[in-house]
Amino acid sequence: MLVSEIDVISPLDLDECLTILSREGIQHRLLAGGTDAVVRMKDGKWRPNVWINVKGLNELRYIVKKDGAIHIGPLTTHSDIIRSQLLQTQADVLVEAAREVGATQMQNMGTIGGNIGTASPAGDTIPALFVLGAVLEIRSCNNKRLVPIEEFFIGPGKTVLRQNEMITNIIIQPQEKNEIGIFQKLGPRKAQSISIVNVAVNLIMGENNRQCLGGKIAFGAVAPTIIRAKKCESMLKIAPITDDMIENISKVAWKEVMPITDVRASASYRRDMASALLHRGLYRLMRRWESYES
Amino acid sequence: MKAEAKNEKGNGGNTPFTWVGKRVRRIDGPEKVTGELKYMTDYQYEDMVWGKVLRAKYPHARIKEIHVEKAKSLPGVIAVLTHKDIPGFNGFGIVVPDQPVLCSDVVRCTGDAVALVAAETSEIAEQALGLVDVEYELLEVVSDPEKAMGKTSPQLHPDGNIHSHVKIKNGNVEDAFQEADLIIENTFYSPRQMHAFIETEGGWGKMDEEGFITIKCPGQYAYRDRMQIARALAYNPERIRVISSPIGGAFGGKDEITVQIYLALLAMHTNGRPVKIHYSREESVVAGMKRHPFKVQMKTAVKKDGTLLANRVRAVGDTGAYASLGGAVIALAIEHSCGPYKIPNVDLEGFCVYTNNGIAGAFRGFGVNQVCMAIETHMDMIAEKLGIDPVEIRKKNVYHQGEVSSMGHVVKSSVGTHKTLEVAENCDLWKNREKYKAEASEPWKKRGVSLATSFHGIGMGIGLPDYGAASIELLPEGKFKVAVGCEEIGGGNSTVYAQVAAEMLKCDISNIVVVQGDTSQTLDGGTVTASRSTYTGGRAVATAAPNMVSLLTETAAEMTGVVMEKIEWLPNRIVAAGETISYKRLFDYLYEHRRKTKVEGHFMLPKEKEEIKGSGGAPHHLYGYLTHVVMVEVDTLTGETDVLRVVSIPDAGKVINPQGLEGQTEGGAVMGIGYTLFEDVLIEGGYHKTRNFTDYIIPTIRETPIIETFPVEEAEESGPFGAKGIGEVVMIPIIAAIMSAIYDATGARIKHLPATPERIYNAIKQLKEQEAQPAR
Ligand SMILES: Cc1cc2nc3c(=O)[nH]c(=O)nc-3n(C[C@H](O)[C@H](O)[C@H](O)COP(=O)(O)OP(=O)(O)OC[C@H]3O[C@@H](n4cnc5c(N)ncnc54)[C@H](O)[C@@H]3O)c2cc1C
Repeated sequence: MLVSEIDVISPLDLDECLTILSREGIQHRLLAGGTDAVVRMKDGKWRPNVWINVKGLNELRYIVKKDGAIHIGPLTTHSDIIRSQLLQTQADVLVEAAREVGATQMQNMGTIGGNIGTASPAGDTIPALFVLGAVLEIRSCNNKRLVPIEEFFIGPGKTVLRQNEMITNIIIQPQEKNEIGIFQKLGPRKAQSISIVNVAVNLIMGENNRQCLGGKIAFGAVAPTIIRAKKCESMLKIAPITDDMIENISKVAWKEVMPITDVRASASYRRDMASALLHRGLYRLMRRWESYES
Repeated sequence: MKAEAKNEKGNGGNTPFTWVGKRVRRIDGPEKVTGELKYMTDYQYEDMVWGKVLRAKYPHARIKEIHVEKAKSLPGVIAVLTHKDIPGFNGFGIVVPDQPVLCSDVVRCTGDAVALVAAETSEIAEQALGLVDVEYELLEVVSDPEKAMGKTSPQLHPDGNIHSHVKIKNGNVEDAFQEADLIIENTFYSPRQMHAFIETEGGWGKMDEEGFITIKCPGQYAYRDRMQIARALAYNPERIRVISSPIGGAFGGKDEITVQIYLALLAMHTNGRPVKIHYSREESVVAGMKRHPFKVQMKTAVKKDGTLLANRVRAVGDTGAYASLGGAVIALAIEHSCGPYKIPNVDLEGFCVYTNNGIAGAFRGFGVNQVCMAIETHMDMIAEKLGIDPVEIRKKNVYHQGEVSSMGHVVKSSVGTHKTLEVAENCDLWKNREKYKAEASEPWKKRGVSLATSFHGIGMGIGLPDYGAASIELLPEGKFKVAVGCEEIGGGNSTVYAQVAAEMLKCDISNIVVVQGDTSQTLDGGTVTASRSTYTGGRAVATAAPNMVSLLTETAAEMTGVVMEKIEWLPNRIVAAGETISYKRLFDYLYEHRRKTKVEGHFMLPKEKEEIKGSGGAPHHLYGYLTHVVMVEVDTLTGETDVLRVVSIPDAGKVINPQGLEGQTEGGAVMGIGYTLFEDVLIEGGYHKTRNFTDYIIPTIRETPIIETFPVEEAEESGPFGAKGIGEVVMIPIIAAIMSAIYDATGARIKHLPATPERIYNAIKQLKEQEAQPAR
């Protein structure tokens, strides 16, 4: 398929979009911000017959609280997320992750739906969505289903999404007052870089000094999909998260990951970096928690 | 000019200048920042045609057959060309033209060009490339320069794989190593840096009905590009016009031919339609020039008191498939391999070696970067071992003007190293370094402060012609058109030329129009490379200006009948016995009398008389000097390094434009940071692993530290108003300074660049493991 032969259809609303998606016999792909799509088209990897341009579907661009949950439309841009008061106070880890996507230009164009849709093991918002217990609403012309984000990815670039489906809503659990999160990223440089390793952490803190009642930890870029670090998570509740304890927890991280070697980093470095980022993240998180308390 | 400069000194050396030494705003600034000025590759023409280049499929292979029929018959294809369609000499190369324009028998790297296509759209051209069927027979790939030098390696060129071998020997290193109190020996590896200019290689070719060819293609030496085009086309160079200015960036990467010959060849087959080639970033990565990766082995001997005794150096540079300027790069590296110091006993040799790893050529610093990191690291290691202050040990060993350098020649031109070190030692960052180092923000973050010094030859060295030329023309509206061959590729030399002209002609800078890089409008004044364009071009303008002054003074005298002595040359006007005569009136008079309104200035760069035997062109007559002080912060958990502060202390001679100088020191510092911490084009088995800017990491604004510039102005007699060149050394010592600062922060010495987080992390880890082992 030559680029000049590809059609672009811009549906006016979600229903029209779903109708186009249900057309059989043509290869189509959604185009949101295009920051992944155009790059892959140029590389000759994504050359559908039709781009379904959804960038203008404002009905899918929202951040609202509904029935105790936060709903985020898939066309919400990273910049929208960064600027959202609601997310800043009740989903801090997602805001931090969005801030680490590329740089301002990418944040203005790129969407959270696109980040999930690309299904890169290095996608930065995904670990944050993991620790916030995100559930994806997936729709086709005549069906709607809910899929927990942890069940959505099959492998790099592969998801459970069918040809006629799209993500229409991302539902996360807001953080309570005693919840606190952080996102840490290691890339080859500070901006415009693909994660070598990233990690998102969300903790539920108790009454006592550095007491943790539980939490979630998710790593990116160290396995075929984002993964939860369940061994580390179970250690969170053993004892107060002192600086010594942080070291103990982060030392275990390498056991959770199965990274590969590529041009960006070796597997062994990635393995060590899982520990390093968790160390750095927990340390910073505890400092921040203490500054809130005092 | 020289006379006038001397006058100024005679007047006490503090004559106030109107333009020189002032923060004059760039004359090309507004149109560049507003985007009004277009990149050449952004032009569009209605009847345009797209050109594309077919690259070799393999890094080393014999071509058995090339079939073009299918490609030719694709609708929309206008021309498909192979080596058979080259009318003249099938080769190019600045020194040895060993690179085929289009390969005929063997391909030696994946950047090699095999065929050219012109088509109605870029997509059709791309498709046509896929239809050119080349039959290859694979040959063994030469990827390791050391192995390439061995007898068993396949030979890539008739004279073998060693393109050049330079050797400099002074004194007796063996004896010196015997009597030394301390000997330091190390091996250093440096990366294959990419120029990463903003505009990739590209341009336009057009042939008119009369067979006149115009090539618009950003470059660094229009006249030489024209010569190389003419040679390949077997065409009268006078019937070719090359326009090579004023935008795009180059850093040495457009010194050699890029696409000019392809454009000219295609233009001969498109029925007068303009043809455009513009590389994608991916194609530029594969086909473009790179900096030579080096392996440098160095052994340095010193006395207890810090006096340098001997230096032995063996440097091997990977020039890839073709020579381009590789031989000169190795020669310059060896000339600079002992730093700006006086070492009595030296044994230095360098090899420029062919491999199938792309192509390497000119790049800002030209070999000096790779050796500076070795000698300066050694200086710091020695200082530490002997307990001497890093500034003191350098001050002790630097050569001064009139002293003998490590090359064994007397340095007659100005030398600012000592002064730059004094400024370094007294700058805030160095004086208060312990305080700043203690201010790291988190427990695992460690800070280090270090300095390093270096130098860089200005101009071509011995053996190559080196001259400057400029013309100044009085225009009908009374403006002066200053034409200099040296291109404006972003460095700001156009503003320098305008300042020099305005100063000498005593007119407002808005009255100067600068034209550069166009064979139909400028004289041949040499390259914009080798830190030479301010010095050489500026001096040529300064040589032309008095000729304009005489022409107009004589004309004014003739017009008014006032004697020459009574003609006053005042700011923005000429006054003859009280009567003001405008430039415009002078033009009108000259025009009416059919007289020329244009003058020229020519300048030969001063050279040393004797070449150091075996050195390949050393020494230079003139060098620019610079000291860098840096502070880094290393995250010891991850190995990430942040350069927080940089102090750049150049000896540029007289600074013509402080703002322009800062443009260089800041850009150079950032490029040096990229070289040291991030950049490397990875090639394995002749194939590029680095594809584009996704994996080729260059610094962004977030990696850009606070950069301060404190120039030391050691005036150089031969330069315009005492100026020297600075365009390259601005990125050199910072490399070694960062390496040492990482050591200062963490105790880990990185000798293999780039110092990526992974390399630094592993070095720290190794250190910890060593420390954990019980002492034996
Ligand atoms: C220079 C640069 C830097 C980058 N840096 C980062 C980074 O640091 N971190 C990071 O994570 N990413 C980075 N990216 C990748 C990209 O910007 C993000 O993944 C972004 O969120 C993609 O969003 P988009 O709207 O542009 O997606 P698009 O490119 O429009 O689409 C991406 C994919 O998602 C699918 N899709 C889009 N919307 C939906 C939907 N509603 N339902 C189902 N599928 C959908 C599309 O069909 C497509 O397959 C970078 C990209 C570039 C070019």
